Amino acid sequence: MTALLQVQNLRRLYPRPRTKLFQRPELLIAVADASFTLNPGETLGIVGESGSGKSTLARMVMGFERPDSGTVEFDGTDLNAVSAGELQRLRTRFQMVFQDPYGSLDPRHSVGWSIAEPLRAAGQDNRPARVTEALEQVGLSPGDASKYPHEFSGGQRQRIAIARAIVLRPALIVADEAVSALDVSVQAQILNLLMDLQEDLGLAMLFISHDLAVVAAISDRLLVMKQGEILETGPTPDIFANPSHAYTRSLLKAAQFAPPRGAPPPTRKVPA
Amino acid sequence: MVRGNHAPYGRFSGKAPWAGLRKTVTGMLEATNLSVRFGGGYALRDASLTVHPGDRIGVVGESGSGKSMLAQALMGMVPDSAVLSGTLKVDGSDMSHATEAQWRALRARRIAMIFQDPLAALNPLRRVGATVMEPLRVHLGLSRAQARARALALFEEVGLPDPEQRLSAYPHELSGGQRQRVLIALALACDPKLLIADEPTTALDAEVAQRITDLLVRLSRDRGMALMIISHDLHVVARATRQLLVMYGGDIVERGETRKVLAAPVHPYTRGLLAARPRPQLAIRVPGTKRPRLPTIPGHIPALPDLPSGCRFSGRCPAELPRCSSTRAHTHRTGTGAAACHLLNPGERSKA
Repeated sequence: MTALLQVQNLRRLYPRPRTKLFQRPELLIAVADASFTLNPGETLGIVGESGSGKSTLARMVMGFERPDSGTVEFDGTDLNAVSAGELQRLRTRFQMVFQDPYGSLDPRHSVGWSIAEPLRAAGQDNRPARVTEALEQVGLSPGDASKYPHEFSGGQRQRIAIARAIVLRPALIVADEAVSALDVSVQAQILNLLMDLQEDLGLAMLFISHDLAVVAAISDRLLVMKQGEILETGPTPDIFANPSHAYTRSLLKAAQFAPPRGAPPPTRKVPA
Repeated sequence: MVRGNHAPYGRFSGKAPWAGLRKTVTGMLEATNLSVRFGGGYALRDASLTVHPGDRIGVVGESGSGKSMLAQALMGMVPDSAVLSGTLKVDGSDMSHATEAQWRALRARRIAMIFQDPLAALNPLRRVGATVMEPLRVHLGLSRAQARARALALFEEVGLPDPEQRLSAYPHELSGGQRQRVLIALALACDPKLLIADEPTTALDAEVAQRITDLLVRLSRDRGMALMIISHDLHVVARATRQLLVMYGGDIVERGETRKVLAAPVHPYTRGLLAARPRPQLAIRVPGTKRPRLPTIPGHIPALPDLPSGCRFSGRCPAELPRCSSTRAHTHRTGTGAAACHLLNPGERSKA
């Protein structure tokens, strides 16, 4: 099987805030040297704390940001070697779902308008039936297209964001902390929806989260990141059964659900 | 910022579902049938609880469950448009007719609160040391030097690195965890007897969140201070609290010892909530098989005016009885505490 997405030796540096006026700012290595592949229909989970570089990696995969070195190949085409117009045409096949269901929808436009936006960008805005279909696929009713974002709850808004991502029938969805802002029961509904859509539409997904338990539920393979480095990668069941890195073990422990034993260490009293 | 409420707490005249469970021991804070009503309906309905010094209470529930409304009612900070009923006693004195000035004194000295977003709660133009010194000078009347020394000691107590330097730092120079520590120091400034933490770790990384949670527990132990943690994150309450209140649609649906309630939930809502949590064990599956779906609670929490008048969870409950939507459930003792559910009293059917 040919890989849908092939990422090779991706590296991205950001300048830190300048500390001395006449010195160059130091560089922060956001992503050190990332390589992975993603096959059609597969889910790759990326887990790591904030600052681990997982969102930078996602933005480079989406072509929002250029890597300092390395390549991102989508279906055999290097995203950073093509023209802007060509990139826009390619983007019809990979779409993103963001974390914040409040910030990612325009409050002044109807939900139907927001969902149709990728269609307009791709020059396919003569297909209103796709909007209706996408709404139904995410469990909303076609009549919801004329409503506005404030009329929906957080979970429903995330369904709308997913509808917008699938309206062009992409081959790949990049979900960056897509369920992190949601309550537990809503989170379970959205995770199930993503899994259903993937299996029905044959979608590949790059699923990014800080929560190992969430990633465990949805990913076929897993990639553990810390401070820009990929610490560990492999099939999800293998990593959970046998984590090789100490950091993965600590994440796993944190995801377990049990009150800690023993008291936290005592502290100095403030003099009254 | 919501302004304090001047509307008096009236006496609640109806039947009290929790009355039989109220402890006879007086606590530092006692709420009886505390309700908050907006035009559309009750955002908080008959909440009763007693807080003793050193208690660590967790309040869990999803958005719209009324958990933040409970905290605001305990602090006397509900919006002006709300109508309050029930009674609230702090240190034995009835706060029903308290003036805003009395509330303000109480908030500083007895009850303090920390919030979810530490950056929004700090003034970006002030050094954090000056922020922490302000209540010390205003409420305790300390001199500049005394206030500074005490702020320094507080920064040490909350585990800020280089406390001396941190006094003169601006909020943007601190990390999220450090900012939350500054706010905890600020909340502790006047030595409160109850600290209410509303989603204290939601904006923080998992690892930092654990350290902040542990800090709150340690402070509660060291100071004999009661702690109330409001969170949608079951990990946080499991780690930090001894007692648990589970809220749904403005009602306290289940309560008991945290460990026991989480191990053996009784109310269908608590059960659904715990089941919906993804677990790391889900990763262990045979390769090539379909991923198992997570158990879910069907539907979503209705808006305030649309909440059923009986059990709030009716309409979504997998074990619903015909009268659940119209009749409120009494609170029944369970093996782990208490829960308000018709299923717990099959004999009640004959009375109804």
